[in-house]
Amino acid sequence: MELSSEDNNLTEKVLPPIEQESDVELETTVKKYLRGEGADLETLKDKKLKTQLASREKLYGKSAKTAAKIEKWLLPAEAGYLETDGLEKTWRVKQTDIANEVDLLSSRNQYDIVLPDFGPYKLDFTASGRHMIAGGRKGHLALVDMMSMNLIKEIQVKETVRDVAFLHNEQFFAAAQKKYAYIYGRDGTELHCLKERGPVSRLRFLKNHFLLASVNKSGQLHYQDVTYGGMVASIRTGKGRTDVMEVNPYNGVVALGHTGGTVTMWKPTSQAPLVQMQCHPGPVSSVAFHPNGHLMATSGKERKLKIWDLRKFEEVQTIHGFHAKTLSFSQKGLLAAGTGSFVQILGDSSGGSSSHNYSRYMNHSMVKGYQIEKLMFRPYEDVIGIGHSMGWSSILIPGSGEPNFDSWVANPFETSKQRREKEVHLLLDKLPPETIMLDPSKIGAMKPSRRKEKQSREEIEAEKEVAIEAAKSTELKKKTKGRNKPSKRTKKKKEMVENAKRTFPEQGHNNTASKKRRIGEDAAAELPASLKRFARKN
Amino acid sequence: MGEKRRSTSKTLGKNKRRKGPHLPNSILKTIANEKRPLNSDEEDDEIDSDDAIVDLYEYEEGVPEEESRKNNRYDPVVNYNYELPEDFEDENVESDDDDEGGNSDNEEGEGDDVVRHTRMLQAVTGMPSAAFDGESKRKPVLFTEAYPESEFNPTRDVLEGKGLLTIDELMAPIEGKPGFNELEKRISRMQKDAQAVVHAPLPKPERERLERKAVKGLVDKEFNKWVHMVKRNREAPTVYFNQNVSLGYSTVGAIASEFQPRTDFEKKMASVLNDNELGEAHDEDGAKLLELNEVSVEDQIKYRDHIAKMRSLLFRHELKSKRIKKIKSKTYHRLKGKDLKKSAMGALMDPEMAKEEAMKQEARRVEERMTLKHKNTGKWAKRMISRGLNVKYDGTRAAISEQLQINATLSRKMNSTNDGSSSDESDDEEELNDGSDQDTPSKLIAKAREKTLKTVEDDEVPNSGLLSLPFMARAMKKKNEEAIEGGKRALEEYEEWENSGGEENPKKTAVVSGRRVFGATAKVEAPKESRKDSDNFYDNSDSDNDTEGIENNDLGAVRDTASPARNTGAITETEFDDDVENPASKTTFDVALFASGSWKKMKGCQNAETKKKLKKHVPYSKGQDKKESRDDESEDSESEAEEMVDGILTSASKETYEIPSQAELIQRAFAGDDVVDEFEKEKQEVLNQEVPEPEKPVLVPGWGQWTNIQKKRGLPSWMVREHEDAKKKRTLDLKTRKDARLRHVIISEKVDKKVEKLHTTTLPFPYTSKEVFEHSMRMPIGPEFNPATIVGSLNRPEVVKRAGVIIKPLKFEEANPNEKVDDEHPRSNQKQNPKKGGKTGKGQSKGKSKQKTKA
Repeated sequence: MELSSEDNNLTEKVLPPIEQESDVELETTVKKYLRGEGADLETLKDKKLKTQLASREKLYGKSAKTAAKIEKWLLPAEAGYLETDGLEKTWRVKQTDIANEVDLLSSRNQYDIVLPDFGPYKLDFTASGRHMIAGGRKGHLALVDMMSMNLIKEIQVKETVRDVAFLHNEQFFAAAQKKYAYIYGRDGTELHCLKERGPVSRLRFLKNHFLLASVNKSGQLHYQDVTYGGMVASIRTGKGRTDVMEVNPYNGVVALGHTGGTVTMWKPTSQAPLVQMQCHPGPVSSVAFHPNGHLMATSGKERKLKIWDLRKFEEVQTIHGFHAKTLSFSQKGLLAAGTGSFVQILGDSSGGSSSHNYSRYMNHSMVKGYQIEKLMFRPYEDVIGIGHSMGWSSILIPGSGEPNFDSWVANPFETSKQRREKEVHLLLDKLPPETIMLDPSKIGAMKPSRRKEKQSREEIEAEKEVAIEAAKSTELKKKTKGRNKPSKRTKKKKEMVENAKRTFPEQGHNNTASKKRRIGEDAAAELPASLKRFARKN
Repeated sequence: MGEKRRSTSKTLGKNKRRKGPHLPNSILKTIANEKRPLNSDEEDDEIDSDDAIVDLYEYEEGVPEEESRKNNRYDPVVNYNYELPEDFEDENVESDDDDEGGNSDNEEGEGDDVVRHTRMLQAVTGMPSAAFDGESKRKPVLFTEAYPESEFNPTRDVLEGKGLLTIDELMAPIEGKPGFNELEKRISRMQKDAQAVVHAPLPKPERERLERKAVKGLVDKEFNKWVHMVKRNREAPTVYFNQNVSLGYSTVGAIASEFQPRTDFEKKMASVLNDNELGEAHDEDGAKLLELNEVSVEDQIKYRDHIAKMRSLLFRHELKSKRIKKIKSKTYHRLKGKDLKKSAMGALMDPEMAKEEAMKQEARRVEERMTLKHKNTGKWAKRMISRGLNVKYDGTRAAISEQLQINATLSRKMNSTNDGSSSDESDDEEELNDGSDQDTPSKLIAKAREKTLKTVEDDEVPNSGLLSLPFMARAMKKKNEEAIEGGKRALEEYEEWENSGGEENPKKTAVVSGRRVFGATAKVEAPKESRKDSDNFYDNSDSDNDTEGIENNDLGAVRDTASPARNTGAITETEFDDDVENPASKTTFDVALFASGSWKKMKGCQNAETKKKLKKHVPYSKGQDKKESRDDESEDSESEAEEMVDGILTSASKETYEIPSQAELIQRAFAGDDVVDEFEKEKQEVLNQEVPEPEKPVLVPGWGQWTNIQKKRGLPSWMVREHEDAKKKRTLDLKTRKDARLRHVIISEKVDKKVEKLHTTTLPFPYTSKEVFEHSMRMPIGPEFNPATIVGSLNRPEVVKRAGVIIKPLKFEEANPNEKVDDEHPRSNQKQNPKKGGKTGKGQSKGKSKQKTKA
């Protein structure tokens, strides 16, 4: 594990005091690296397995501890944050205030690009946050290097552009245009025209699976493998037209928001939705996923914003009076919501992992009349990109980005050689589409049993008891002509009980006994008559 | 002694049956020693005399044998103690009526012993042998004398003659002899002792239990020594076998230095290499080497002789070839050439010849493929096959199959001659390409004519084999005639084409190329002529078509069969063409494929368009009205934007933009009304689909409804019960679903078959519980997820061993109570020296084997 580090985050106001490395802190990181609890070995009866597993578990512990210790050196930078004192509120801090405090490099990330002609812009960042593609509604596509603010390529497709998305790196991007979706190269050349999908309204790329997912105007969801071009799945959602689509970064499940207020989650290998959730009474206007995959934020047109726990499929929090046209989670878990010309950033104030309490963290108002189209946090930077009707803007949100990047995962300072190497590795590590599932940690586990297991002995016994009781308690009819004698009645009752017993199969040991007897009988049968009396009797 | 033997054999048999643990010798010995006090001295002797395990077992089991003899068993003790002469016991042996063969042998041997013994006595005492015989012959007396049987004297004991002899009786013969008194005293004393001391032995099962206990204690002690080692090895995550292993050699030089010359040659070499003299000679100026380099006379002579022999051989060979060269017989040379050819196929032939041969072969192949002469296409062959004569007559069948064989051999592609065939292929390709090549139609035609001519002209008839048979010849001739006819026709055609070649348009040539025909069998079809009458739309109908039509008028009837289809095709084609030519709108283009009613459709389209346009206006106005409300803004802006884009940037028609239909808009406007209900309904549907409701029990109409009573009774109870059970099951299933408690969620529980391959169906080997397995799977062990220092130990195999290392058996080590198992530092299992084979006790080796299997 190589973690190269670069302190590229905002050092807002004052950095927290460098604390002594406490055991508590180390313990939490160790816990993180242990990836969950070990099995309870006390239940095991096999001593050998027990010791083996115990030694293994010990190794895991050692590994986690080492990793936690190394983390200090590999992940030196800490996330920034806004700190206020007294009555000051973080949401009253304006971008101009921030600009005065931050270093030059960071302040360069506050800007507005005004492009009034080509209408609301959609944005997408590469995984490393180095490059951005902006797609104007009226056909303007611009590929920008965010580090140097160089415009790499700018093209005018002279068609409506509904969405843009990067493929695995900045070399390729896809644009959903009027009739078809297209894939362009870095230099703006059209590489592919994806005719099969029809008029696409939203495009998303699943990085680990190399699938380009899109939903078209007639509500069809398509998955296309971009490595070989095959259409992996084409699913009719049957929920009508939608333009709310998001990918859960944790498991690759695609979520669609529908007009009926439902959010459906899909995978390419099944035609039916994995999950359907009734999230809002009105149309769903946007959906966003937390990077850890456990949280989902939805907003409905009835001016409500809801946060859901996807492990329990339960609502965690409802924020009233706010309708978001676009939602976005940052790497550190801040939630940005945009409506009209107003951006609100919500932060998780609880801090704990179990309960979530999102509350106002920062606000930003654009110039009146600018209609926000798309919000997206820039990875590994404390920056959010805002695509709006008059171009795009970028503002600083302290504490939004992951301060340390892993050059094996995403490297903003990637050289072309590294990029090529990475591309090959990505392709080698490509996941097949069937690995998309709600809980990917189940891969490699035991197959979930389809039906209930065979009834246990006790259950069968219990059932038998019940049946016998029932047989015993049945009332016999009153009969005439001597059939009502007590002896007859008891006989009848006995018979009924016997019948009730007979319906249950004999238990295991009885069977073996009978088998044995049978064998003995056979042996006796085979013997000549004179020797039969010597045959062993059981 | 004899009795002992007998019991031995019996117990041996028993032993085999038992199959108990095979106890090691040492243990058994100790057991025997422990047991000894119970028994008399005599057995001691016995054990000493024999040394095998067998004796031990004999001893063990001998006791129960005695036991079976009820009360009588104490008397023999007395007997044993009494020192009787050897021969006395031997008699007993003889009296044994054992039916075992081995014993009888022994008895015989003992009989011999008796004789020898008497002889010895005779020699020593000088008394007649009868005096000694008397004793030995008492046995039959014992048999015959009828002793009163009582419960204390069972018959078997009688046979063995034990209980019946009293000591007094035995003493009687030696009464008055010297030492008799002393003996008598001793006996009387012993009798007293015996009556006082002897106890009843323990019952058999108890005794056995005791024995087992003793054995178990011993064995446990022996095995427990190994426990700590076994435990250590079992618990070790990795067992190392590669410690402290020195292969002995480190370098090639080291190996070479150890080299010992063994064979004669090696020795010779070694003597030369290690010759000091030679070395010195080299080290000095080298002049001495000449001295050393002398050749012996014998060697010289040998060399000379060898050269002389070679020369003479060469000379003889020369002579022979000269003689052969002189032979003028052509047959001889021809045969020789044939032989040569046969022997030297392919590689041995010179390349030029090979090439030529290949060319010839290829030509033959091409001809065969064109003419299909041997494919039973002839009239005769057809007739034979159609009438089934080929089945009936062997000769015919043979002929036909032979033809096919010839065809196969001729038309087989030759792979060996690569360049020849490839050039040919390229030729073929050229031909094919030429067909479509519009620049050189004349050339093509010329070529074709040439070929046809060639085939027409070469009508040689094979003058041997099957084809030379008169009927074959006739058939061939006919076929050839046909072919020639066809060829001529083709030639004429070619000529025509050549004449009109200049003015022919490319399209035509393309058509012609499709009909290009070579050889005799190819029939020249001219379907054009039939098309002619329908080809009104073709402006470019040619003169050649006409002429063709005229020429082939007689064939018209046949060819017309194909024409209708063609006609229709042509018609549609032409219509389509017309449409294309029309400067109509684009929408008609796709419609025109359905040739009929295209205009109508187009109209319809236009209507639709206009309708759409009309529609468009309505929502726009609506949208503008609503513009203030933010919620719908996106939709509006979208539509606006699109309109704008269309207006500014594209001049294309606007119909591609579909704004939502009225119904959809209304639905959207009132979306919030009953979504919850709808969702509920949907959930119910999904549930019904995934957990289907049981079918209602139905009776077959007319069954069980004959009487009122039956009708009243309704469905049979078992049906009702089944239905209820199914219902119950369904409710249970619904309850156990993940979304049972969540009203707003539907979680699909459909099984995805593609995902199944990502799960294991069974627990992997050492695991016994699913939870433990899944928990242990949670940690990745790869280098990407773990620090480099741990990866090695996480992925270490169970056994670490270098190739070629001999795994030695475990050697016993004392347990070190302070030792702690440390995973980090590899502990060697290989420190021990190899065990000296077979010297240690059995118990130990057993422990080892157990250990090995468990480790």
